[in-house]
Amino acid sequence: MTHLTRRSFVGTAALLAAPAIIRPAFAADTVKLGCLFSSSGTMANIEGRLNYVVRMAADEINGRGGVNGKQIEVLTSDPASDWPLYAQVGRQMLQQEKVAALFGCWTSVSRKSVLPVVEQNDGLLFYPLHFEGDENSKNVVYVNSPPASSVLPAVDYLMGQEGVGAKRFFMIGSDYVWPRTINKQLKGYWKSKGIPESAWREEYVPFGFSNFQTLVNQVRSFASQPGGQPIVVLTVVGSSIPDFLREFANQGISATDVPILGLDMVEADLEGLDTGKLVGHLNCWAYLQAAKGERNTKFLADWAAYVKAKNVPFSADTVIDPMVSAYDSVHLWALAAAKAGSFAVPDVRGAFAGLSFDDPSGYTLSMTGDNNYVSRGVFIGSVNEKRGFDVLWQSPNAPKPVPFSPYG
Amino acid sequence: MADPGRRSPKVLLALSALLTFWCLAVCAVPASAAPLDRARFTADLCGDAAGQVRGAESLVQAGGDLAADDLAYAGRLLGALAERRLACPAEGAVLFDRPGAPEGRDALTGAVRPVAETRAPVLGLRQRAAVETARGTVALLTGPDPASRAAGLSVLERRIATVPAALLDRARDAETDASLKGTIAGLAQAAALSSPDPARRRAAIAAVAASPSGTAAARLEALKGDPAYASDPAFRAALDAGLAQVGRAVAVGNALAILYNGLSFASILFMAAAGLAIIFGLMGVINLAQGEFIMLGAYATYGVQEAFRRFAPAQLDLYLFAAIPVAFLAVALVGIAVEALILRHLYKRPLMSLLATWAVSLFLVNLVRVGVGTQNLQFTMPAYVSGGIPLYADFVITWNRLFAIGFAAATLALTLLILRRTPLGLDIRAVTQNRDMAACLGLPTRRIDRLAFGLGSGLAGLAGVALCPIYSVNPGMGSGFIVDSFMVVVLGGVGSLAGTLVAALGVGGANVLIEPISGAVAAKVIVLVGIILFLQRRPEGLFAVRRRR
Repeated sequence: MTHLTRRSFVGTAALLAAPAIIRPAFAADTVKLGCLFSSSGTMANIEGRLNYVVRMAADEINGRGGVNGKQIEVLTSDPASDWPLYAQVGRQMLQQEKVAALFGCWTSVSRKSVLPVVEQNDGLLFYPLHFEGDENSKNVVYVNSPPASSVLPAVDYLMGQEGVGAKRFFMIGSDYVWPRTINKQLKGYWKSKGIPESAWREEYVPFGFSNFQTLVNQVRSFASQPGGQPIVVLTVVGSSIPDFLREFANQGISATDVPILGLDMVEADLEGLDTGKLVGHLNCWAYLQAAKGERNTKFLADWAAYVKAKNVPFSADTVIDPMVSAYDSVHLWALAAAKAGSFAVPDVRGAFAGLSFDDPSGYTLSMTGDNNYVSRGVFIGSVNEKRGFDVLWQSPNAPKPVPFSPYG
Repeated sequence: MADPGRRSPKVLLALSALLTFWCLAVCAVPASAAPLDRARFTADLCGDAAGQVRGAESLVQAGGDLAADDLAYAGRLLGALAERRLACPAEGAVLFDRPGAPEGRDALTGAVRPVAETRAPVLGLRQRAAVETARGTVALLTGPDPASRAAGLSVLERRIATVPAALLDRARDAETDASLKGTIAGLAQAAALSSPDPARRRAAIAAVAASPSGTAAARLEALKGDPAYASDPAFRAALDAGLAQVGRAVAVGNALAILYNGLSFASILFMAAAGLAIIFGLMGVINLAQGEFIMLGAYATYGVQEAFRRFAPAQLDLYLFAAIPVAFLAVALVGIAVEALILRHLYKRPLMSLLATWAVSLFLVNLVRVGVGTQNLQFTMPAYVSGGIPLYADFVITWNRLFAIGFAAATLALTLLILRRTPLGLDIRAVTQNRDMAACLGLPTRRIDRLAFGLGSGLAGLAGVALCPIYSVNPGMGSGFIVDSFMVVVLGGVGSLAGTLVAALGVGGANVLIEPISGAVAAKVIVLVGIILFLQRRPEGLFAVRRRR
């Protein structure tokens, strides 16, 4: 009846699922850096931009003569938002392309899948996202903040008099490791402050979930109960964020009734939304586009120029924290490699202690010899009418990161 | 949070003076119409976070006594502050027409003032709430038309505990619109929950119970701790009656909400699955590109919106309706092209057609990604598909969902009409029932296949139009629908539109019912397991089309 045998089916399927071709930028006497950011699948819209930022940073360094006399060559790939594929492409880059360092991953689940690969091959992965902490590998550089220096200051702000004096918490997250760990730590934190368990609720939705009607109903009924000011701690990711915000606004809840603290919310998530009704909702990152200072002005101008010059398919006037963190990553690696005078991972790693870099956020990033975490500043942003975030609060300095949370 | 350099001793002095003023305003409500101290009010709004809250709250407290021009002045300033059109130089404040303008007008004197260093303060949530309430006060007292006054009132209603009775009394006395006057009076009555007069208190309980909601229930529930509840039987009876009334209404409202949520989810499922029911039912083609056809429908809608923006900006609000035929035809043409170029050759090889449609879906996603970009598209949502109205108790009708429900109903009616009342429909039904016999009778089955594929794709295009106001539109949006729509089609019975409808209602309803109990993740799993078990018992689905083999 059919010409399709099982073998040919498997063959076709394997062909379709074959790993993305790794594309080198150019080949010469160079040192290679690898990118693990998806340009297809659910993460494409936000992860895709990071490839270009890494290239931009590399171009900057190359323009100054490169590192240790060598030009940087950036290899990009497309793990297609498929978590195991990150590991496969990462292995290929380390073993075949012999990259000096990897820059990649957005979701924690993709980082967890690459982790064994970089550990086995003694590679170096620069991870540019803020995340749940509770991990300390010598092969991963955690360029962004663990919860103790990003989420907790923001929650503290909301609980304090300056914020809204939040007393009750509705946690909504995508069902995977980052939201679950963050929420576990938050619950531990609230417990340590003597807040009773009845003051919070926790709900999870599948990846890519978009039908938030019932959940927003639940938020409204949670908010109408007595017991003090409620807030929503939102840890859904990807396209669920705009879908949640839209439903929230349509059901008539404003930020002054129930503020949302969107931990993964960036400017790109507000694209396509009417933010007039969302003004005042919050996020927290180690960088916001509205950060003051010459370094940020220069970075924004550089990015706009780069987008124009290289015809990058992303917005020239949207810059998000992970972009800046990816940019910082390349510079941190270059500084460490130059300090070590070598590209070998153990030498580069040894040079991390005492490294510092003035990044676009206005803070000075620094590393110690204790671990591979980086000290970053903390910003709390507030959604404005123009689909951006205003800086509502920022930390006076860059707090020392705490890898393992005492609260969970 | 505020720049420490800003807190000059002068400002502190002004703030302490203001504190006194505020205390005067609150502690001893002035008997006569006291004019607003504009300079102090201005300095307050330009001050630090605490100052802004104080300034805004003092306005609400004094609102019942302020002259109309003072209110208008305060309204201008508060509006500018909320919209970030306020700059605060060392002296006074400057209002702008738009954020970032090079010069503006001095708030007090109206003189044109250039400001080099503009620092419009970003409002924190506490300040924003205070400013919102103050703006609501101004709108209620000075709004030019009943709609704007009602909008002001609804803002005040949210924070009724902080609104002084004098303010509501003044608004009620000044109100010319009869129904709004009644609303204000009801609110004023409800605000007297802690009045010392027992009769007024009971009236307040009745007034609160008259507009039931979860918040009203919480307010009344809190009164159970009141000493009067134990000592005053009349109060106790009034409160119990009020609580029972609110409780019933909230339960009814919640039931309505569940019904509405289920219906709206079902309508989305039905829209996504209707086209598939025809394609899968007629030709047995497992069309994995159906989700991408939905995505194309949404992009066609975007194209129509852009065309309206360019050629008929005045009619922009109507673009969603204009998009209906465009999206249908555009996607139907894509479907016909796919059928003619690819699927036609693969009818005898179902697995290959499955792979081919998968390839089509990948192709379409990447085509759109390269051609338009990966970002979410920016839609202007007309008023009829944004926001919602509270209908009863806590039940809110959201317009975008209602639009989708109406859209799904219209699609259902239209599709049934085509299938039952047109020659094409007759042909499609004949081919579905027995392809070989239909061919023997001289029906051009190939041509019918093509038209049916076009119809099925067109329906997916329509789904794209209906989904624009609900979901984010990006190249990857289609992949989320494919599993759900197959689930619905298979459960409903292959090739049966009625079955698809019933299955969509069933799956949508079950999801919405289970979600609050066991969470969204478990709801998906439970529904899926339920469907598998059902199909074990009845593999042909709910409504099987009789066909000869």
